[in-house]
Amino acid sequence: MLMEYIIQALKGAINLIFTLDPEVSTVVSTSLQLSLTSTVLAAIIGTPLGIMITKFDFTGKHFLNTILNTLLSLPTVVLGLLVFSFISRRGVFGEWGLLFTMRGIIIGQVLLILPIIIALVRNAIHDVDEKMYKTAVSLGATGTQQFRLLLSEARYGIIGALITGFGRVVGEVGVSMMLGGNIKGYTRTITTAIAMETNKGRFSFGLALGIILLSISFIINYIIYYFQSGEFK
Amino acid sequence: MKNIILEANNIKKRYDKEAVLDLDNIKIFESAFNFLIGPNGSGKTTLLNILSLVDTDFKGEVIYKGQPVKKVNFDLLDLRRNFSVIWQNPYLFKGSVASNIALPLKLRNVKEDEIASRVENIAKKLEITNLLNKKSDELSGGERQKTSIARSLITNPEILFIDEPNISLDYQSTQYFNDLFLRLTSEGTTILLITHDLYQINNFAEYITILNDGKVVKSGSDIELDY
Repeated sequence: MLMEYIIQALKGAINLIFTLDPEVSTVVSTSLQLSLTSTVLAAIIGTPLGIMITKFDFTGKHFLNTILNTLLSLPTVVLGLLVFSFISRRGVFGEWGLLFTMRGIIIGQVLLILPIIIALVRNAIHDVDEKMYKTAVSLGATGTQQFRLLLSEARYGIIGALITGFGRVVGEVGVSMMLGGNIKGYTRTITTAIAMETNKGRFSFGLALGIILLSISFIINYIIYYFQSGEFK
Repeated sequence: MKNIILEANNIKKRYDKEAVLDLDNIKIFESAFNFLIGPNGSGKTTLLNILSLVDTDFKGEVIYKGQPVKKVNFDLLDLRRNFSVIWQNPYLFKGSVASNIALPLKLRNVKEDEIASRVENIAKKLEITNLLNKKSDELSGGERQKTSIARSLITNPEILFIDEPNISLDYQSTQYFNDLFLRLTSEGTTILLITHDLYQINNFAEYITILNDGKVVKSGSDIELDY
């Protein structure tokens, strides 16, 4: 009986995916838009910060690194709660009307993956052998050329950091739920839709989105694996 | 006696609070096979870094053709581009052997077709044409060293600094490079070689500086090797 229910749901889910169901498509498209925007913004902010933290010595560097490492495992609902307190109507930025908008979700998601991108870029830069700098100088590289060589040597690690950040936001639920409000056709993402629609009894719909999310996750991990193993050379 | 091309006076270098170099004077002679020898930890590589201008954080002065490089308005980058260094454990950049060898020319904005022809020529000269398309991380220790030697020679440097290159090379390759370096000095290249190899010292050294504990203990063209 249960098996039959699951098989029926699976058939329904596959049908929804391959017929490009408009509701499924909208949810997936919203999720991807949000995740890509958040990742690009976090990359623009986080990549230079990760490089600076590695290359410059300053007071409190050790403390900052400890904070960064702690934030790597920040629960999404805690972050959602924190940002909510700032952008809700009574919050400091309440007047800006960010709550239950895509911009609100993006702010939360950027804050969520910023520590991940900074920390992973920091590690990627740190992993570049010290001998690289000496070699670059001895080969006659200018300061700018040395920096470009550094980025080039760390490129697999940096790209891996960005993909990991994307993977984190596309699969998060806490920030999207608390700051987006799960509004149909507007702020409903794959994860919030799965949570809601499954509760409403639309198991096939939830399963279709689950399969899509799992596929995205698989692709992301596949790409990360290749970048980290240095296959893309 | 050959001309002095590079000289260093009153060089002091510290790592943390420990002095690793404290030497009065060292001279490098033009178009000659200069040797820098001494026990492990005597400061040879640190001195090489300073003389090759890879490390400019030191006290004292380096004099190039009679002019202090720090005081006279030398463009350090231009000067550094006259030099090349072959490191003991060379760092190769990600990518092919060809792209590694081409890198110094790319950094000098040499045209692509000229780069291609010079890479091919140097690879032929060093008999490493078969390696050109290999990835740098697929190379053996000896192949890495040969690639780094090709990369250092492609700019036809005026002064070539070499830090114990034999470690990864087999006997045949060592002999080959000994002959090559000897030929380069006869063609006008100045070489400063750090080595422990008595064969090289006995057969090729024109000028020898012996370093111990960060100080020059002996130097000259004909000195007793007793350190």
